[in-house]
Amino acid sequence: MRQVDEKVLVSTNRIGEPIAFLWRDSNYRVRTKPVRWFARRDWWIDASRVQRGVGAGVLEVEMWRMVASEAEEPDTAKKAQFDIVHTVGDSPAEKNIWRLVKIYD
Amino acid sequence: MTGFTHLHVASAFSGHYGVTRPETMAEAVAASGSSDALAITDRDGLYGAVKHIGACLKLGLSPIVGVDLAIFDDAGSTMARCTILAHGNNAGRGWSKLCEIVSVAHAARGRNGSIRKENQVGIKRNELAKLLSEDGGCTVLVGPDSDVGRAILVGPRQLAASLLGSWRELFQTPGTLGIEVVSHITEPGSAYSTHQASSLLQLADKLSIPTVLTNAVRYLEPDDALTADVLDAARHLEPLGLFTPQPNAQAWLKPAMSMQSLAIEICGDASRAMKLLESTERLANRCRLDPAADCAWGKPKTPEKVALGIEGNPFEVLWQKAHSGIDHYYRNANAELLAQVHHRLGQELITINKLGFATYFLTVADVAQMIRDMKIRSQARGSGAGSLTNYLLGISGVDPIEHDLLFERFLSTERSTLPDIDIDVESARRHDIYRAIFKRYGSNRVTLLSMQSTYRGRGAMRDSGMALGLEDEEIDDIAKNMWRFSARSFRGALGTKPELSAFAAAVEEDRRMNLLVDITERLDRLPRHISMHPCGVILGDSTLLQRTSVEPSGLGLPMSQFDKDDMDPMGLLKLDVLGVRMQSAMAYAVREIARVRGQELDLDNIPRDDPETFKTIRTTNTLGIFQIESPGQRELTGKHQPTEFNDLTIQISLFRPGPMKGNMIAPYLDGRHGFAKADFIHKDLVPILKETWGVVIFHEHVLRILNVMTGCGLAKADEMRRSLENPRVAPEVKRFFHEKTEARGYSKAVIDRVWSVLESFGSFGFCKAHGAAFALPTYQSAWLKTHFPTEFLAGLFTHDPGMYPKRLLMAEARRLGVKVLPLDVNKSTDEYLVEPDGIRLALTEVQGVSENEVARIIEEQPFKDIADFYLRVKPSRRTLERLALVGGFDSFGGARDSNRGLTENSSEITRGDILARVRQLNAIKNRPPSEANQPTLDFNILEHLPTGNAEPTNAEKVSLELSLMKMDVSEHVIELYRPMLEEMGVVQASELVGLRNKTEVLIAGVRVATQTPPMRSGKRVVFISLDDGSGCSDSTFFDEAQARCSHILFNNRLLLISGRTRRTGVRGVSIMAENAWDLREMWEQWSKARPQSLERAAG
Repeated sequence: MRQVDEKVLVSTNRIGEPIAFLWRDSNYRVRTKPVRWFARRDWWIDASRVQRGVGAGVLEVEMWRMVASEAEEPDTAKKAQFDIVHTVGDSPAEKNIWRLVKIYD
Repeated sequence: MTGFTHLHVASAFSGHYGVTRPETMAEAVAASGSSDALAITDRDGLYGAVKHIGACLKLGLSPIVGVDLAIFDDAGSTMARCTILAHGNNAGRGWSKLCEIVSVAHAARGRNGSIRKENQVGIKRNELAKLLSEDGGCTVLVGPDSDVGRAILVGPRQLAASLLGSWRELFQTPGTLGIEVVSHITEPGSAYSTHQASSLLQLADKLSIPTVLTNAVRYLEPDDALTADVLDAARHLEPLGLFTPQPNAQAWLKPAMSMQSLAIEICGDASRAMKLLESTERLANRCRLDPAADCAWGKPKTPEKVALGIEGNPFEVLWQKAHSGIDHYYRNANAELLAQVHHRLGQELITINKLGFATYFLTVADVAQMIRDMKIRSQARGSGAGSLTNYLLGISGVDPIEHDLLFERFLSTERSTLPDIDIDVESARRHDIYRAIFKRYGSNRVTLLSMQSTYRGRGAMRDSGMALGLEDEEIDDIAKNMWRFSARSFRGALGTKPELSAFAAAVEEDRRMNLLVDITERLDRLPRHISMHPCGVILGDSTLLQRTSVEPSGLGLPMSQFDKDDMDPMGLLKLDVLGVRMQSAMAYAVREIARVRGQELDLDNIPRDDPETFKTIRTTNTLGIFQIESPGQRELTGKHQPTEFNDLTIQISLFRPGPMKGNMIAPYLDGRHGFAKADFIHKDLVPILKETWGVVIFHEHVLRILNVMTGCGLAKADEMRRSLENPRVAPEVKRFFHEKTEARGYSKAVIDRVWSVLESFGSFGFCKAHGAAFALPTYQSAWLKTHFPTEFLAGLFTHDPGMYPKRLLMAEARRLGVKVLPLDVNKSTDEYLVEPDGIRLALTEVQGVSENEVARIIEEQPFKDIADFYLRVKPSRRTLERLALVGGFDSFGGARDSNRGLTENSSEITRGDILARVRQLNAIKNRPPSEANQPTLDFNILEHLPTGNAEPTNAEKVSLELSLMKMDVSEHVIELYRPMLEEMGVVQASELVGLRNKTEVLIAGVRVATQTPPMRSGKRVVFISLDDGSGCSDSTFFDEAQARCSHILFNNRLLLISGRTRRTGVRGVSIMAENAWDLREMWEQWSKARPQSLERAAG
């Protein structure tokens, strides 16, 4: 398992599931149905405010776990498992932010 | 299918776990329409159940009640946390089973009168299975947090299957076992993941065990998860980051749609999902409670006749008992009064009979009689004092006819809830009374009442600070300055309260302080923990333990998990037996008067018009007198100058936030002192309001005004009075009042004016019966202080009833010329005994001396010398040294007479010599085992008392007394600063009364009280009382002055205050403060300039 923390560009399908992503100039295709889950953040380390009504986003993050390989490779090539964090940003230009955090080779 | 019923919901009453109040949860479900039923399953108990049922009934939901409980294996380790739900509509079988399960789960924690915190709450699986084996009654749900749930995550499928198999083995009665499927959509492969949920579902299907879907709810909305994090820290007693926190923010009360898609995600196919949702609703239906049939909702339950020892019709028994009281209480009454008594009693009894409360009155009378038989002082308080029946049954000591009190304020046919009768008793005997009640009625009919304490200001801040890992001192510093504002508005207070300005600056810069403010606001008002109610006892019939779950209390007696608000809905009779220290202090004084003077005194039969007593009160030296010793009451006493008993009732009722806010005090005083003509609005109101010069103070006034002007009758009048407080129904009362009064010919001007008085009266008023009941101990204590000051002070010292530190009472004793005799191991006991020359200090005042040591000293008294004491009492080294340091052995010094006080010079042997000897004794390595073995000890070193050691100075003595006993016995601590104070021209408190208005003064002393009462303007005012040995001075700090010295105001003990005098009445003077300083700091600066004065420096 490798820990990284890099921004990736993700394309999603109609219901919001990632189907492909661009990482370090390579295109990856998601090969099986990705799994969504929710992880937490240690807000007491980095949050500036946690007032009533601030929202669960301070505490919770959406995670996607997917099996993918480089798009050019055939379906039978060696695949890896990727964990990508999905957050919703403030600016309209960059609404969805995706960060790759873990790779299980 | 459109709905979804939540079956696993922890409310905020799951201490340090749940976030949302049950009412709020129910409202959300009713508003969303996602179901017509809702469960509450608090952790470890039924704490929120009654509130939940009440809310559901109001909103048209079916209540479901269960518990979230730890299950132990045979070895006693936790194997699971299960949701256990009571089945409904079975005449209470499910409900009583649930109560029993919860009570059993708690029983192991209580043993020999203490709570064993290390014993977790929970029930052995075998025991639980046995309770459900015969006729079921509850469903136990095994879920993710169980041996099965954990096995399915890691091990082979067979292991999980065999574990679940053994649950099935044990719970064979149909309907008693189910599988709870939960997904909080956590990381795949971990607990509460969708993966775990679907594995559990498949396993259940394989073993044909019914499944239900829940969301294991902890809070209403995702945002509340942050609050849950902080509560977790409070529960773990560890800062966030040091324990495993909740996995995410999914444990919220999700709407039906979300739960349905979750079902599909877990099941993988729609038809299985549909079945899961259906079986969830099936269990929900089975668990819908019928509150009336299942919980005996609202049905009054009082002890059976046999338990009360009565035969025949209870009402006839009550009639006879009450009438036989007439001969006793109205022995000397004339015919007219007797006729009045008979008429009124008849009226009251008719009402009591109509309501079916005869047994209730007999029960309370029985308890009151039992307390009297135990020779314990007692007295009814509250509206119950308005009942002649209560007076004749000996429950209340105030004659309602003499004091013009109304029964209708207490009880009427317009209301059918059980009335409250509260009994004040000697605090020192309260637990004896509880035990006697349990013994008399049987432990199946009695439990103690519990109380949910909630997070408030400082408590919320402390736990928030702990969660964030702040240092204790850091938290203490901020908490110290939290005064008189709700934690909910913490952030708002930062900008407006000068004493918080340093903290406000820190918040700007320090991120953690910002978080601290936010989470403190979140915690505010949440239930914090359950504890024993200070005075409530629940009395029921023999089914009581099937109606309420119980847990052990610190007292060793079982305590209901319901609180006082739950009593009326559950039809439970609550008796408040409140321990009042003043009653103990007075009982002690009476005992000492009998012991020392051989004079028997019946305090309840002293004349209530003693002029000397009122003279004492009018001097405003009211320290130690019940209810009127606070600075504000002292000031009011100075203005009011009471001359009779009714004045005390009025004064006690006036000194409350309502009348103060409503500006009722000034018109009353003006009328009384003839400064203004009383305004009665209409001649019909003159007889009602003449006692208060036209000011409406009492509930009884309102009742009478409504009755006289509308002719509605007093019972209806009380209903209207209650309605006035409720903005929804108040307009109806207004319409009724206007219609009726117009019809009866009152002018519009009169009607409008009276109505505006009644309207503004709202919550201001006070029940006169309550005031009169309070005035009785006020008068009695004032009478004792006037006629038996020594014995009375001994009672105060022994039972410490007041608001002030004991050292202030020492100063009062000095002022009254009552000597406090120094500690003497041959004469002191665990109480303050009265001796011919004064009051002997008690051994219990010396900090760190154990109860056992005190008991041994009393048992072994008297002692020949220190060695004798050392051998027979076997004190710890610390105790021996401390007793010597405060002069407990001075009387062994030889010629010195300890009765003459510590300041006398002893002839030869000094306390220094005694200390030297004590240190010799403490140096002996092996204490002699017992008296029999004395010869084996080398006593040579004990033979000679060392001599030539110095006697400590007065300053040293006072400093030792303050540090070891928290009081200055030898002389007032302020004496140490006397040279500086004299040089600065500081005024003594006793001299203030002789000064002109607006004289500039400096005043010094020890802070004895700080109050920030609510003010009419809404602005905060700080009152500080200082004691300087001559008496108490009261200073008032308004905004500007607070801004100058707020850092001093709340933090320092010894203060110097500058300001101007303000005359408030004949004997009333207070100080409008301008500034304040720390006296010790001033002393340091002052003595730096004068080195010779340092020898008197305080420690």
